[in-house]
Amino acid sequence: MATPIIMPRQGQSVESCILTEWKVSVGDTVAEGDVLAVIETDKASFDLESTAAGKILALFWEADDDVPVLANVAVVGEDGEDTDAFRPEGQASAPVAAEPESSAPAPAPAVSQASGEPVVAPVAGPVSMGASSGVSPRARKLAMKHGLDPETIQGSGPEGRVIERDIEATLEGRPRLSATARSRSLSEDLEAPARGSGLGGMILSKDLKVPGSVEGAEISPVKGIRKVIAERMIESLQSTAQLTLHTSFELTQAQVYRAQRLEAGQSKVSLNDIIAHGIVKALQTHPELNAHFLGNRIATFEKVHLGVAVDTERGLLVPVIKNASDLSIEQISAEVKKLAGACREGSISPDNLSGGSFTLTNLGMLGVENFTPVLNAPEVAILGVGGIALKPKRTESGAIEYVDTLPLSLTIDHQGVDGAPAARFLQTLVENLEENPGI
Amino acid sequence: MKYDFAVIGAGPAGYVAAKKAAGAGLKTLLVEKKKLGGVCLNEGCVPSKTLLQAAKTYHHAKHGSVFGVTVEGLNFDFPQAHSHKNGVMDKMRAGIAGLMKKYKIDVVDGEAILKPNRKIEVNGEEHEADNILICTGSSPAVPPIPGIEQEHVVDSTGILERESLPHRLIVVGGGVIGCEFACMFASVDVPVTVLEAMPEICPNLDGEIAGTLRKELAKKGVDFQLGCKVEEIGANSVQYSDGKESREIEGDLVLVATGRRPNVTNLGLEDLGLEFSPHGIKVDDRGATNVPGIWAAGDVTGQAWLAHAASRMGEVVVNNISGQTDQIRHDTMPAVVYTSPEVAVVGLTKEEAEERGIKTRTGRIPMAINARYIAENPEEAGLCKVVLEDGTNRLLGVHMVGGACSEMIFGATAMMETELREEEIEEIVFPHPTTSEIMKDVFMAVR
Repeated sequence: MATPIIMPRQGQSVESCILTEWKVSVGDTVAEGDVLAVIETDKASFDLESTAAGKILALFWEADDDVPVLANVAVVGEDGEDTDAFRPEGQASAPVAAEPESSAPAPAPAVSQASGEPVVAPVAGPVSMGASSGVSPRARKLAMKHGLDPETIQGSGPEGRVIERDIEATLEGRPRLSATARSRSLSEDLEAPARGSGLGGMILSKDLKVPGSVEGAEISPVKGIRKVIAERMIESLQSTAQLTLHTSFELTQAQVYRAQRLEAGQSKVSLNDIIAHGIVKALQTHPELNAHFLGNRIATFEKVHLGVAVDTERGLLVPVIKNASDLSIEQISAEVKKLAGACREGSISPDNLSGGSFTLTNLGMLGVENFTPVLNAPEVAILGVGGIALKPKRTESGAIEYVDTLPLSLTIDHQGVDGAPAARFLQTLVENLEENPGI
Repeated sequence: MKYDFAVIGAGPAGYVAAKKAAGAGLKTLLVEKKKLGGVCLNEGCVPSKTLLQAAKTYHHAKHGSVFGVTVEGLNFDFPQAHSHKNGVMDKMRAGIAGLMKKYKIDVVDGEAILKPNRKIEVNGEEHEADNILICTGSSPAVPPIPGIEQEHVVDSTGILERESLPHRLIVVGGGVIGCEFACMFASVDVPVTVLEAMPEICPNLDGEIAGTLRKELAKKGVDFQLGCKVEEIGANSVQYSDGKESREIEGDLVLVATGRRPNVTNLGLEDLGLEFSPHGIKVDDRGATNVPGIWAAGDVTGQAWLAHAASRMGEVVVNNISGQTDQIRHDTMPAVVYTSPEVAVVGLTKEEAEERGIKTRTGRIPMAINARYIAENPEEAGLCKVVLEDGTNRLLGVHMVGGACSEMIFGATAMMETELREEEIEEIVFPHPTTSEIMKDVFMAVR
């Protein structure tokens, strides 16, 4: 007759024991009283003796499992007998970490704790290996009672198991919270520091911090546009091979062009509009910079969809002039004004913030000379414009004269575009801007 | 010689810090230019409280008829009271000397001058220390009143040396020190007038507590002239103005008790790059000055004019130089006025809390509801006030006047240091019958 061997109850308060080591295997013959396994509680270890003679038909637990008292641990009987009926509930091959708690863990420190005794803070302790070998039920109960997370405590039991002793040691070594601090930390979900400014390091009400707060700094959440920018920027820098080429162009002709327009009663265009127009034109003969790098393929666009960076109160926005290659400089200028206005007002539609094939960004009005703009991934190129710089130039006669120039900084994704083609694009652009801007 | 720790001034900050440091294994130097124990032991706390007890004993004997006690031939032997006082001081001084010897602290009798790089010059010798604690204390302020240099015009140090009672005492300054001496002399039947410039005595106290104290002292015969400024001190009278007219009052002994000033001169502080002013040496809550290795504690910092604050500040400094973090918490510093009735307070008044933007709930209750109090103080009116933080119900302040309340205030201090709230305090048991129960009963009156 198959007989189940149960985990004995070693004491009134012991609710489970660790089965540290099997001394027998399935198929072994045992006599009554033979040692089947070594069992351990928080306080002592002892031998599990067989209460029947026969063959070991089944061993239900693995070494280091935490076994509830009175649960079946093995079956002793004769060959062929069924053991399934004895298989204990919840016993799979799960590692010790899956605690079969016989009693529900105590609730978090009740606010109505007697006589104002300061209680330990629910603060994360040193993270350690305790979690891998589990936590004894007594340790878990004690930890929960004091608002500690037992998984974060160093275990000194078998295989780093967290036992009651470890919780006690942690509780003893930590500064306490005052009655007010404990109450507030629970009701207002505040964090306690490792040490407070009260008696013996007691944590006082004023020591409590909003989670995530930083000494001497105001905290604001990262959300909305900031979040989007943060994610896109880091993504761009991490997924591309960016480098920046710097050049500049002489402003003389561009300024002449602008003046001519005004004289002729035409609409005003900015230097930025002229550059935008120049980019669109130059990309026609350098289509490889009007593309997206997509990992295993490159998408080279037919038309130029030019993104123009706009600084707004809420952050950087990049509205896109769709089909800019179809537009005249006046139309580009008007479109930029319209989109920038919508961005600043906050009325820009999300559709207008995507679909770009090349981006233009200008920090010249803020005094920046050269910079390394971050790619608007997956675009392979972005052009940055700096502020007017007076530079010496050697004329044909060999004399030196000074001219106003505007710095251009082109960042490319070397995964898609090499330096030389990028440089050639810049040469074309500079030529356009110096010789026939706006046309 | 090279020391780990050097202390300038052997008052309550100095000798306590020296003992703690030596106990922690630091080679310690203690320099004192006058007497061990500083002002507290020699010119302040100890002598004044001893004489106050003598005066109180006389007063109780004289006014015991309500208890059925009458005394014939009652006499106040002032020289004997002084003799007892001197005996107490000698004993305590010897105690400190013994303590310093036991802890193997090098005590040097002399006036220290600080030099840069943590050097100290005293009695022609130069010493060096890793850390220096300046706790040179304070001295009575000398206001620019004409006639103040006369022999019968004394400060708190001088009045303690008088061995005969005056015919009439005039006290200039109705602060804590002025009131204590007024009480002492009035208790032994000397007519006293207190001249105070502010609208109420003891301006740092809760107004109602101060007012209650004043009325009780008036019952003893102290005449208070509030809102009065002294103009001139004559040979046997004092001229003062109440803002409208000048008045004159007779008196053969004038006590000037208009405050104290930190002792920051003749120490060489100017050459150390130390941040200090006539209002004190600037320190943070750890006791650190702006010069690394130089610390200050007690009255010399101008932060608190209490011996126990000085001692604690000294301990805080020693903790900080021994690698532990510690700080002084002024919000939980108790203070006592040793008049009869006593005043004992800790924490914030309602006004102080509201100035900090803290919303409060307060309560006040007369001590007369307490059985022991009325049994023992049938002719005195006491008061207990409590301030709680609205919302958390945390105890923010306790203010009491009446009986021997100085012996109870530490309980309120402990409650505040642990930030106990109304609900926890309600569970603490106070023995009955004691006056201390008033600290619990006052919660009944909280709104």
